[in-house]
Amino acid sequence: MEKLKVALIGAGFMGGIHIARWSIVGNAEVTAVVDINEERARRLAREYNVKSFYKNYKDVLKEDKIDVVDVCTPTYTHKEIAVESMEHGKHVIVEKPIALRLKDADEMIKASERNHVKFMVAHCLRFWPEYVAAKEIVDSGELGEPRIVRAYRQSPFPDWAPWHNEIKLGGGVFIDMSIHDIDFLRWAIGEVNEVYARGGVLRRRNATAYDYVHAVLKFSNGAVGYVEGSWIMPKTFPFTTYLEIVGNMGILKVDNHTTSSVKVFTEEKAFDYTFVYKDAYYEELNLFTRSIIEDAQPPISGLEARKTLEVVLAAVKSIMENKPVKLPLKGDIL
Amino acid sequence: MRKIKFGILSFAHIHAWNYAQVLKKLESAELVAIFDDDKERLARASSAYNVKDTYLNYHDLLKRDDIDAVIVTSENARHKEHVIAAAERNKHVIVEKPIATNLRDADEIISAAKKYGIKLQVAFVMRYHDASLHIKELIDKGDLGKILSIMSTNHGKYPGGWFGDPDLAGGGAIMDHTVHVADLMRWYTGDEVEEVYAVTGLNIRNYLKVEDVGLISLKFKRGIIGSIDCSWSRPDTWPIWGDVYMAVYGSEGYAIVDAFISNVTLVKEGKPLEWRYFGPDADLNMIEDFIKAIKEDREPRATGYDGRQALEIALAAYDSIRKGEIVKLPLS
Repeated sequence: MEKLKVALIGAGFMGGIHIARWSIVGNAEVTAVVDINEERARRLAREYNVKSFYKNYKDVLKEDKIDVVDVCTPTYTHKEIAVESMEHGKHVIVEKPIALRLKDADEMIKASERNHVKFMVAHCLRFWPEYVAAKEIVDSGELGEPRIVRAYRQSPFPDWAPWHNEIKLGGGVFIDMSIHDIDFLRWAIGEVNEVYARGGVLRRRNATAYDYVHAVLKFSNGAVGYVEGSWIMPKTFPFTTYLEIVGNMGILKVDNHTTSSVKVFTEEKAFDYTFVYKDAYYEELNLFTRSIIEDAQPPISGLEARKTLEVVLAAVKSIMENKPVKLPLKGDIL
Repeated sequence: MRKIKFGILSFAHIHAWNYAQVLKKLESAELVAIFDDDKERLARASSAYNVKDTYLNYHDLLKRDDIDAVIVTSENARHKEHVIAAAERNKHVIVEKPIATNLRDADEIISAAKKYGIKLQVAFVMRYHDASLHIKELIDKGDLGKILSIMSTNHGKYPGGWFGDPDLAGGGAIMDHTVHVADLMRWYTGDEVEEVYAVTGLNIRNYLKVEDVGLISLKFKRGIIGSIDCSWSRPDTWPIWGDVYMAVYGSEGYAIVDAFISNVTLVKEGKPLEWRYFGPDADLNMIEDFIKAIKEDREPRATGYDGRQALEIALAAYDSIRKGEIVKLPLS
């Protein structure tokens, strides 16, 4: 069987993560790398022995031999690139968040339906081993019915991507980062029907994007949740995640440091790392590839991603209006 | 130097047993008399701490001139009755948290303490735990810069007994577990809470008449954000009673207090895993400082007013849950 040909658009942080996994997905290969910074595209292409690189994604869409477009660009560009790729008959996987506006998400979903192409949003936590294990425990009923959950995600400000400074470009910490936890909780616990959030631009100078948010959630099934996203950590702080789920029959918790199987200390740096049985990004791209080959539903639909986006937008709305926000959300926020 | 003679009013609250142990340990204190209206519990406490003078009527205990101070560890709703009776007999008082179950009672307690000139300490033992104290000092030195947000948890197991009785406890997990961390937040920030939003959901234990789940979001007057998870969300088989966890986000740094994480892991055949605590004894530090406050004639570190302000936050949380909206402080 011939391998699916993938065009990677966006040779930044996530592009680098994706191309490394594409190189081990058996039924697909990256044949073009695109970045508005041509030098960055060239460098990444060369590193992975990809022959073509482009400055403008429109040029790569004209090529018939491209089957899949992997959109790893800044969030505010997702809709335009994804929709245009789909209009050219390409299957599309797009990094989270799907977009910053619900109407953009709707356009993307419609474009995938109209053009009969596969469309998936890369919510990687659904493949992340500790989160998969937690989801399996919840589904098994071992915890009983879920009652209260806590999820945190803390990191220094993502300096590598200046567009994160602007709320209209990146959405801020809750839309960009806590969206992971929100998507996971929707998947594992159930739908959210009300959100109250506090936060703002607490530490970052000259930014409009919120760098710290905490949100209190009510789920339709009677559970409640606390989700916190922080980009206000000192530069020395290691990226940290925490998950706790309490049901009426038990509790589970997991974080990304206690579980580290490797800890390294040198005069220059200290780091720890958790080795896992299956890499989440590989799994995500491999399953998307398989859904194309088998003409099946991709593991995460555009509609799922839209519902997740709705919850994080509700949190932002709640901060702006300082009151609890009920779902579904009416109108757009940003 | 003269020992301060203590009485304990009721062993209803589990902390009474810890305080009694501390009083037996301290050179500067003597536990001379105990009261409980539960005969069986009184006998148990009497033999556990070798206290011969036992009372089924607390007025008889308070009549004794040789007693300097009492620790009130009765059910939350009975604090007012016991503290005021003690104040009227000029006994200094340590009262268990929450100070009372409503603000009127709290205010009456504070007025009585003032009127009779006694020392009134609310048992916010976390102000005396070396870990939370260390972070307080760090904040005061300015090492964290300006405080931006504090995330906190005070998780626990379901304590059982009257803690499940809304009349005696004044509520469930929110009444029991909001005030310690709320007090630490007030202490750390030197600020008062302006806004409270809270939720509860379906109970973990469906047989309870009080809530065992609670999440609170706060805003202080100067804009600092706070959150409290006060849930009794730990099962009976959890390796330790619970936690006090504070994550302090500052403009120049980040600090965590995880006050009860210092444990030896212990596993016995056929038993659930256990964490045996070896951290500092905050109860002891608090009672020692209270004795000093009496001798030096100064205010205790956590006053009746601090108790009232923390209680107001818990009451505002209930109010917010009832209304489904943000509640502004002070409560009217």
